[in-house]
Amino acid sequence: MTAAPVPATKEPQAPGGPAAPQRRGIVGKSLGPLLALPGIVWLLLFFVAPLYVVLAVVFGGVDPIFRTVIPVWNPVRWSSEQPIYVLTHIVGEDGIFGPALLRTAVYVLTASVLCLVIAFPIAYYVARLAGRWRGLLLALLIAPFWISYMMRMLAWVNLLANDGLVNRIVSVGGLFPGDTVWLSGHSGVVILGLVYGYVPYMIIPLYAGLDRLPSELIEGARDLGAGRWSAFWRVTWPMSRPVVIASILLTCLPMLGDYFTSDLLSGSPQTSMVGNLINETVLTPGQTGQAGAFVLLVLIVSLLPMVYYVRSVQRADGAVV
Amino acid sequence: MSAPRSVNRRTLIRNAALLGLSVPAVNALLAACAEAPTSSNPGGGGSDAPLEMASPDNPVTWPISDDNPPIDDGMSPEAGPLLIYNYADYLGPQVIKSFEEKYGVEVKVSTFNDTDEMLTKIRTGAVPYDICFPSYDQIARMVTAQIARPLNHSYLGNLDNVWDVFQSPWYDGEARYSVPYSIYTTGIGWRTDQVTDDIAGMDNPYDILWTPSYAGKVAVIDDWHTCMAQVGLRAGITDVNTSSADDLSVIQDNLTELASTVKPKVNISMYNDLPAGQIGLCQMWSGDVVNAQYYLPNDTSVDVLQYWFPEDGKGLVDNDLMLVLKGGNNPVLAHLFLDHMLDEKNSLKNFGYIGYQPPQKVLDTDRLVADGYLPENLATAAVQESWFDTGYRLLELDVDNDQAWHRIWQQFKAGA
Amino acid sequence: MSTSTAPRSTGKAPRQPRQLRQLRQLRGPVGWWRDPWRKPRVLVAVTVGYLLWSLLPVLVAVLFSFNDGRSRTTWQGFSMRWYYGDPIRSVWHDDTLQTALMQTLKLGVVTTLITVPLGVMLAIGLDRWRGRIPSSANSMLLLSFVLPETLLAVALLMVVTTLVLPFTLGTTAQVIGLVTFQLSYPAILVRARLATIGQAMEEAAMDLGATPLQAQRRVILPMLVPAIVASAVLVFADVIDDFVLVRYLSGDAATEPMSVKVYNSARAAPTPALNALVTLTLVAAMLAVALGFLLYRYLAKRAGDQESIGSFAGET
Repeated sequence: MTAAPVPATKEPQAPGGPAAPQRRGIVGKSLGPLLALPGIVWLLLFFVAPLYVVLAVVFGGVDPIFRTVIPVWNPVRWSSEQPIYVLTHIVGEDGIFGPALLRTAVYVLTASVLCLVIAFPIAYYVARLAGRWRGLLLALLIAPFWISYMMRMLAWVNLLANDGLVNRIVSVGGLFPGDTVWLSGHSGVVILGLVYGYVPYMIIPLYAGLDRLPSELIEGARDLGAGRWSAFWRVTWPMSRPVVIASILLTCLPMLGDYFTSDLLSGSPQTSMVGNLINETVLTPGQTGQAGAFVLLVLIVSLLPMVYYVRSVQRADGAVV
Repeated sequence: MSAPRSVNRRTLIRNAALLGLSVPAVNALLAACAEAPTSSNPGGGGSDAPLEMASPDNPVTWPISDDNPPIDDGMSPEAGPLLIYNYADYLGPQVIKSFEEKYGVEVKVSTFNDTDEMLTKIRTGAVPYDICFPSYDQIARMVTAQIARPLNHSYLGNLDNVWDVFQSPWYDGEARYSVPYSIYTTGIGWRTDQVTDDIAGMDNPYDILWTPSYAGKVAVIDDWHTCMAQVGLRAGITDVNTSSADDLSVIQDNLTELASTVKPKVNISMYNDLPAGQIGLCQMWSGDVVNAQYYLPNDTSVDVLQYWFPEDGKGLVDNDLMLVLKGGNNPVLAHLFLDHMLDEKNSLKNFGYIGYQPPQKVLDTDRLVADGYLPENLATAAVQESWFDTGYRLLELDVDNDQAWHRIWQQFKAGA
Repeated sequence: MSTSTAPRSTGKAPRQPRQLRQLRQLRGPVGWWRDPWRKPRVLVAVTVGYLLWSLLPVLVAVLFSFNDGRSRTTWQGFSMRWYYGDPIRSVWHDDTLQTALMQTLKLGVVTTLITVPLGVMLAIGLDRWRGRIPSSANSMLLLSFVLPETLLAVALLMVVTTLVLPFTLGTTAQVIGLVTFQLSYPAILVRARLATIGQAMEEAAMDLGATPLQAQRRVILPMLVPAIVASAVLVFADVIDDFVLVRYLSGDAATEPMSVKVYNSARAAPTPALNALVTLTLVAAMLAVALGFLLYRYLAKRAGDQESIGSFAGET
């Protein structure tokens, strides 16, 4: 998951835009379908079909000996025991999953907002104001892409260990005892991990979008007497809103499936997210169907933002679709 | 392309709609829709008879079926490589090496995180493993589904070296399918520099895990049955396989109290975390605390580690097994490896590496400290043969009870 | 104030390059006093602060790979022990670390070799095909881009564990999962490039007598090369970084790549050898990127494209 296509801002239509009245001969006509076919077949086989397998597992049965799943392919014979189990245990007296789902929402939202607060000024600066430093800054901002996520988490595990640097620095002045156990069930630490891990994925698409803002408009506003802030609020910000929304989606959608950040930086059930629920149940006999149900749940929740994203990108692509 | 896609989408939409409905309505609706129930109850799936459950009161000798016979006597070993499936850090490299040299073959060890994962992956047949190291509560399933291969004892002369209890154990009469690997207890481990209480002297030593002042320093074992059974023992529930709803709700309450008072970590890396000081107090397997001494930083004395297990042996006692898998390509070599591991010298060498005691007759449990296998402060980690009569054994549970246990565990793990 | 040097349309007299003026205004305590909240200053502080925050922890981890002791938190002197000194646990001597490293590289290369051609063909194909099918294919592609990775991984795990397939968990399953997840990169990047190229070139070629196939091969493809190189580097780097898919779809220990190894060890008993391993891959990745960028810049100049390091982060 690196950066991504973001919906274009107000940009003149790319050359070659809409209508394409051409293509000669049979080869010319069938060239598109021919070239696209392998990719489409691949996606159908390994992207769409697996989602159906998830359904067959969720609504399937369980092997009495191994408690492993027996997928049921025919929708008519689907049993709804597993999804009902999950649904009935979200809220209320038996609401064992509710807190984790709520926690996921809170973590993801908080982390996304923090990501934006950090990423926007940086992307804005690098895209519009950095001048000759731009190349270097961009290279440094991209650097985290080349450092594995696991390694960056490992770095924090080291820093936050009981005898790690953080506790040492904190205890230098003697103000604090410096014996905080950071890596055990602190929501703040997990959110920090999420922000640290995902903020690069927000900076780059934001940068790409802000870079494309037509500077004439902003300068025009300034020339017409708008102050620095007012030009920003009344021209730049409205123009960059689609990019901001797309960047938030690109950051928080993958966060929804995250379980390893909580695992590494906390390891305590007190910070379990829905990703942890999936990870816990998927290989546990008798519960694989529940894992599938959680997968569907996350899928449904993320479907709307995903469709919104796809729409906005396609609109920005204009006539390509 | 539109066929699978449209079904998919329709179902998604249906699910989305369902989510918007109230839960009771969903219940009624879906219950009505379920024409052919494929439930999780026995009989719903492809197999006929419910699983026979072994227990000390109901010893079982597993049948040997005609289509899964043991290997013949006196065959010569295959060329390998021998594929072993095991927990991480649970097999000494020296004994592997000596086996490789003795038979001129290669041994490859793959690791799993828990036995559920082990079973799932073995069943996919992705890798033709020859040997795996399950716990005794998996053997029923592995034999019934013919994943395990019956043993030919003519290759296993060293089986005589192990304690009499394991010559024909209740979970596998006549040791037809398995040989014992390690024995251990589940108690409490702690560091004296972080926990100063006299735990062994407490009225109920299990209480120590619920002490609020140790919040953030506590870890419990990431295995539902082991962890919950010990929580039950704290509350005096000695039937560690209980199916009583009252007992289970007591366990649930204790577990919830544990989560809210000390926010424990849940993992199985105590053998590293305790010596590293990341935790100070935990549920612990005896083998892990023995092993922990090798993970201590150089400047820390081994005296810092302590372990408690009830002196009368009325606690959780366990043993792991070695099994030859039917799907493996090297059955003869696998038998030879089992025998290699049951050899007195090799098993002691292995003990020195993994910290888990083998049930060898030659090991005088009272002399483990004097013989240098255990440091003095960890003498409590020695496992007595008699404890396998007095201790509590975790058994496989029937489906309904298993679900009841898992529900509580899930709640705990979900941080609810 | 923008640093853009593009001429403005107000028709005023030419003036000093804006950058210069900006610099002059920034200098000196007087300027600062007059307007201490100039945006650039705050923004510079935020940017520099962020860069420190994002890179320092990693540098500390790299530093500790040279630690003489076993600790990853207490400095005990410089040594190369964890690279080759330690006879058992150093990267050089520990087979499991090397296996993980090899598996990572293998997945990276194989996945890139499959993904890039498949994605490029898909992009060109979708670009030359109108109708409902290509349009839904495009949506599917974009959906695969934003679907949380865990969902795809679990779905594929269920496929492999419940269906009888000619392959099982292990490298094949991992490659299939990775290709599916990465396919959108080359496709999206190449489509963006196609949009800027337009159809004039292709039509001109055909007017000059080229068949449609020739036009693709001789005219369009060369112009796409920079985008293809960028997406190849991107896919490769992303695959080496991948964790969720490769962990769920791994078979035995031999198919567990580095990220999984790091995760497992970080939860169990890590030594600085782990830091050494990641340091090595970090160096390797940086080298690959640097080479890739140089190649990209060379090709982009030849193709008349404007090159930017941003293309290496998937900027379209």
